[in-house]
This record gives sequence, C-alpha cells and structure tokens, in this order.
Amino acid sequence: MPGKTKVLKKPSRTISDQSYVVEVMKGLGVTLKHFFQGTAQMVSGNVPDAVKNPLAEGIATISYPEQKRPYAERWRGVHRLTHRDDGSPRCVACLCCSTACPAQCIYIKPGEYPEGDARRGYERYPVEFVIDELRCIFCGFCVEACPCDAIRMDTGVHVTAFEVKSDFVYDKDKLMSIVSQHGTQNSENTRHEPGDAGHPGIDRLHGGH
Amino acid sequence: MPTFKLDDREIPFEKGETIIQAAYRQGIEIPHYCWHPGLSIAANCRMCLVEIEPGPGQRAMMLDVLKWDAARNDYVVDRKPKLQPACQQMASEGMVVRSENSHFVKDARAHVQEFLLLNHPVDCPICDQAGECKLQDYYMSEQRTPKRMLDEPVHKPKGVVFGDTIVYDAERCIACTRCIRVCDELAGDHMLDLRERGNKNEIVTAPGRKLEGDYTLMTEHVCPVGALTSSHFRFKARVWTLTPVKSICPGCATGCNMFVDVDTREQRAYRNRPRDNEAVNKFWMCDDGMMSYQRETERRVLKASVRKDASREETTVEAAIERAAAGLKGVQKGWLAVLLCAQSSTEDNFVMVEFARQLGAPLYLTAKAPWKGDDILRNVDQNPNRAGAVAVANNAKVGSLKDLLHAVSAGQVQAVVGLGACADAEADTLAVLSRVSEVVLIAAHEGPLAAKASVLLPAASSFESNGSFMNVKGIAQEFRKALPPKGDAVPAWDLVAQLGRAMELDLKYRKFKEVRAALAVLTPAANPERAPVVEPTTPAITPTTPSTVTNP
Repeated sequence: MPGKTKVLKKPSRTISDQSYVVEVMKGLGVTLKHFFQGTAQMVSGNVPDAVKNPLAEGIATISYPEQKRPYAERWRGVHRLTHRDDGSPRCVACLCCSTACPAQCIYIKPGEYPEGDARRGYERYPVEFVIDELRCIFCGFCVEACPCDAIRMDTGVHVTAFEVKSDFVYDKDKLMSIVSQHGTQNSENTRHEPGDAGHPGIDRLHGGH
Repeated sequence: MPTFKLDDREIPFEKGETIIQAAYRQGIEIPHYCWHPGLSIAANCRMCLVEIEPGPGQRAMMLDVLKWDAARNDYVVDRKPKLQPACQQMASEGMVVRSENSHFVKDARAHVQEFLLLNHPVDCPICDQAGECKLQDYYMSEQRTPKRMLDEPVHKPKGVVFGDTIVYDAERCIACTRCIRVCDELAGDHMLDLRERGNKNEIVTAPGRKLEGDYTLMTEHVCPVGALTSSHFRFKARVWTLTPVKSICPGCATGCNMFVDVDTREQRAYRNRPRDNEAVNKFWMCDDGMMSYQRETERRVLKASVRKDASREETTVEAAIERAAAGLKGVQKGWLAVLLCAQSSTEDNFVMVEFARQLGAPLYLTAKAPWKGDDILRNVDQNPNRAGAVAVANNAKVGSLKDLLHAVSAGQVQAVVGLGACADAEADTLAVLSRVSEVVLIAAHEGPLAAKASVLLPAASSFESNGSFMNVKGIAQEFRKALPPKGDAVPAWDLVAQLGRAMELDLKYRKFKEVRAALAVLTPAANPERAPVVEPTTPAITPTTPSTVTNP
C-alpha cells in the first residue's frame, strides 16, 4: 500500500547476545537434545537403526542417491524433444534455441519435408538435433526460446555420468526417447497440423476462399 | 542545387528526383516496400506516404474521415490531409514534406503495416528472411499493435517452385512486384507476373515458363519479405548468425562488389549478396557470381605436394618450398619463366613480378578461357584480375600461356614458377610442359596446370586472404579475408616471398600491409585504396549486423 509504512523496532541486544558464549551454548543444547532423543528412540526401538537400515521410513537423513527429494515441476533436468501425435518431433528446426543458447551446445541441421508431405512448404524439420550435455549450463533459455514447445527440461533427471565424452552428446533419437517426469512424450499444449481446421495453412483450393 | 524540407532537414535534390530518392541519397529512410533505388516506381505498397504542405496560395487537399472518439463512444466527422507516396512524388524547390513529424503519416504507416500483416502467416521462426525482413523492422518501428482480425486468414500456395533457384511462398508475399520488375528491367525477360486481385493476389511464373536465366537470384535479393527464398540458402542458416564481409566477386572481369556472409562459429560461407556500387554493379549480381561462395571452396589445393616419378607425394609447405628452391637454383639465368595469373589478386601478382624481376625472368599470364558474357553485368572475360596482373608488370612484356608453351617447345625454358592452375590453352597443348625440368605452381584451386607441377604449393583463395582485383574498367577494388585459410593454405604472395627468400632473393614481405605499401609506390594505379568505392548509403539493402571480421 503506498503511503503506509510499518516501522519495525530494532531488537535490543543484551550482554549475553553480545558475548556469544551463551548463544553458542544454547545452540549446542539443541544439538545435544536431538542427539539424546534420537539415541533414546533408537534404543527403545521406536525408530529403525539408521546405520543398519538407512532406507527405512522414519529416518530424517536422505540417503542420496538411493533416495532423492522430489524435484519441483519447473526444475531443469536433461532435455527432451516432445512428440506430435504421429510420433514425429514437434521441432520445426527454427534454430531459435541454438541462437539463444549461451553455451552454444545445440546443433541443428534443418531440412525440408519431402515432396507430397502435408507439412512441406509450411514447416521444416530437424534432420539432425544434437545437444552436447557437457557444454550445457542448464539455463533453460532453449526452452524459453522455443516457439513450438518442442524442447523441454521437465524430465527431472540429471545427465547420467558417462565414461566417454562422446556419450554426453545426445542426438535426436536419444533426445526423443527421454520422457517427462510424468512419463509422457508429448506436451500439454495442443498443436494443429497442416490440414486440421484452424491450422494456419490450408491451401486456396481447400480453404473455401 | 535546389532543396526541399523533409521534417527538420533541408534535402538537396536533382531535377526529376522523387522525395524518397533524394532522402535515400542523404541516408534518410522513408519506410517503403515496393520502391527500390534500382527499379522503376510502382507505388503500390503505400508505405512511403508523406504529408506535403500546400504551396503558397494553394488550398490543402483535405479528406473527410470518421474518427473514433473514445469519450463519446462514437465516430465523429474529422478531416485529414491527403497523403502522397514519397516514391512517386517529384521533389520541387521549397517543398515542405512531413514524414516523422506528422501524426497523420505515422497513423497511415501503422495502418498500412497492419493491413499487410492481416493475412500474413507470421511464421518468422521458420522463415529465412527473419532478421532482415522489412515486415519485422517496420512492425517494430511503425506498428507495435496486436492483430485485431479474428477471422481465418486467406490461404495461398506455399513452397511453390519457380525454377531451379527460387521457391515462392504466396502467404508471405505482399505483392510489391519488385521481383517482377527485376525480371523485366534487369534480366529483360517477363518471367513473373501477378494473378488475382486484392488479398488473393499472388506472383506466378508466365504460362509455360519457369524462372530461369542468369539473374534469378536477384528476385530473391530484392524481396523485402520472405516470399521468395533461394533454394541454395533455404533453411540453411539464420541471418543473425552471419557476418557480412566486404568482398569482390571472383567470377568475371566486371568485379561486382559483394558481401560474403559467413558464419564465424562454423567458419563457413553461406551466401553472397551484392554490395551496392554505382560505378560497377549498381545493386546487382548474376547467379554465377552469387554462387561463387560455393565454387571458391570446391576443388581446393589443401596440401603441398611434390612429384615423385609418376605420382604425387604430400609434404609440408616448408619442405616443398625447400625442394622447389633447390630445383630452381640449378636453372641458369634466363632459362626461368614466370607465370602470372589473372585469377589471383593484384598483390599476389605484384610479388610474383618482383620475384621475376630479380631473376630477370620473362613474364607470362595464364587465365581461364572466355565464357559467354552478356551486356548486363557478365563480362566475356572470366578472370577477375587480368587488368591488375598486367598493371603490376609495369610495362614489362607479358606473354600469354600460349607464348610460354611456344617458348617451351622451342627449348627456351628450363623451369617455370607460376601462380594459379587455370589455363586458357587447349589441354593437349599443355603436354609440352613435361619437357620443363621444374614447374613450381602456387595455386588455390585444382586446374589443368596442377597435374604438370613438380612442386604444388597450396595458396589461400580470394575468400581466405586480403587483396584486390582490378576490373575491366581499370577500377582497383579491395576484398577482405572472410574465412581462415583451409588446410595448409597460405596467401600466395607469402609463398612467393618465402620461395624467393629460400632462393636468397631480396623479398622481404612478411605482412600484407608491406605488400600493399610497396604496391602503392610501384604501381599506384593498381592500389585499391586510391579508388574509393562509390557506395551510396542504402537503407534498403545494407546489412543489419555490423561487420566484425576485418583482418587488415
């Protein structure tokens, strides 16, 4: 609200605050309380033994990598290329992602659909689509730049560690085989294909004009 | 010179010039689509409308219009001046023209722009013109409003193949007819025309014809939107990743000025574009010239090689130069011939002439055989630098390749040092060169002479080095290095200088600047810095990205 200001009172500092010793003791007290409580619970059998049975339920410590925190929906994992209904990539090879990429890790070779394809003339497609996941800095600019919702980072997966550098270079087939956190290969956003009602691009003979 | 007033500036003009033309020569761009400085006036896009104040004692031409009054929530009767197309209106002394200063003009532009975009597919992400598209530029500078039409746009043919070189998209077309006028006025062949009217309007090829000839790519070049795309560049790259480098077409003796658009990440040339030069090529280039970026990278000599018996053996440049110097040292004075090349730059030939002068060797010139020229741009002489190669000889006699072959058959030549591998003599007559004990060739491209070389040194092509060509009119023009040399290639002048030093000659050139400075002193006529390019400021065609690749 403009014009209204709330003045906060600065907390006063006592001698015990100033000396630190008392506050440090208080903090240690909390640690010791949890230490004894935890040990007592373990001895009494209320909670499983964290050493013998680290993955059991009720243990506060997360045993990474066997256990993981759930990632947020918008957490940026490894890329995937979304599919259309017919299984082809949504990507139209516009090169917006590779333009936006600050790490220059995306290489796309655009191509034209063959003669007779309904999409010829309207769209292009990626003949090659390569992401060097080692170079990638996971900034998500490619996803932001994509006008077709064709590249997504909603997989919730880290790049797997490989032994050979070339394994980090993901090609089109690999990128298209990766699924989202929810297991889908498509995207929520609908897409009109040439020939659909509402697709911008029915030719003059079929368009009724 | 008479002047008129455009906004706050006095614009000088010559009699008969239009407002847009006079402004264009002053570097002021009045937004336009259909007008092109090299073409006739069509005045069909209505983008260049300006307000012209009535002359003294004249009544302003006013139109009654309905204007939306938001306060009254109704239309009210209003008046506005009749605007005139700046591309068609002749400038006259003392005329007062308002362009940026008139809100009527700004309104008109915004509405014309909205009108042109009504049925546009707005497929910028996959359009090759995106980044250098006038629709995009003027949307940002003149319109900036969302589309208001809710109806399905009119659909028209897409991906229409006009010929071997051009693919047409009618939905993107704004029917400015620039391409039609290029065919009519530059190529002189009415291959394209308009069909239908209004929003069904589209460009078609003449019945039974396809777009062909030597100037088809110019239709794509003048297209202000993405309607015409060239099949060689279609879908290959995005223009914003390309860097234009000033160059000269190596295709013929006309020496058309051009930009080579290179991708500096991939270190690859993607296309040529004409660079305006009133004195040489005006605004145009032929198809062969436009495609020279592909030819320059084909059939390259990438490694030094030495002939061993019947086969060739690849080696390092240093070893090959040593081998050549050793072979040439045994040759007696007067038995060595030096071959200049009309395909190589003036600087390369200049150092070669210096090399010949110090050895007292006679000069010969090799070139490519003539091709079919025309009276538009294409010169009969396929060689970009015949005049330059002759000029650097400084009145010394320069024989042809045939003269050299005669001298060889007469037994007057023991060794040949030459630039380039092209030959303007019949292939079978070259056989006599096998009588020569040592043939040292410095070539960028494979050619008929390369097979005869005992030592072949890889030179940088004209895209890979700085240099200059002198065209058939005697205008020396500079080209800039666009790409790093491929393979082991080194600029030819450097190889000649290295060879000279290996033979203990006084050839001190180690930097391009030194060659150019010596050239300016010894052959001032061939110094390109003396002949400034007549380059009108062209808002319509100048590149949008600044040139960053300059390697002086």
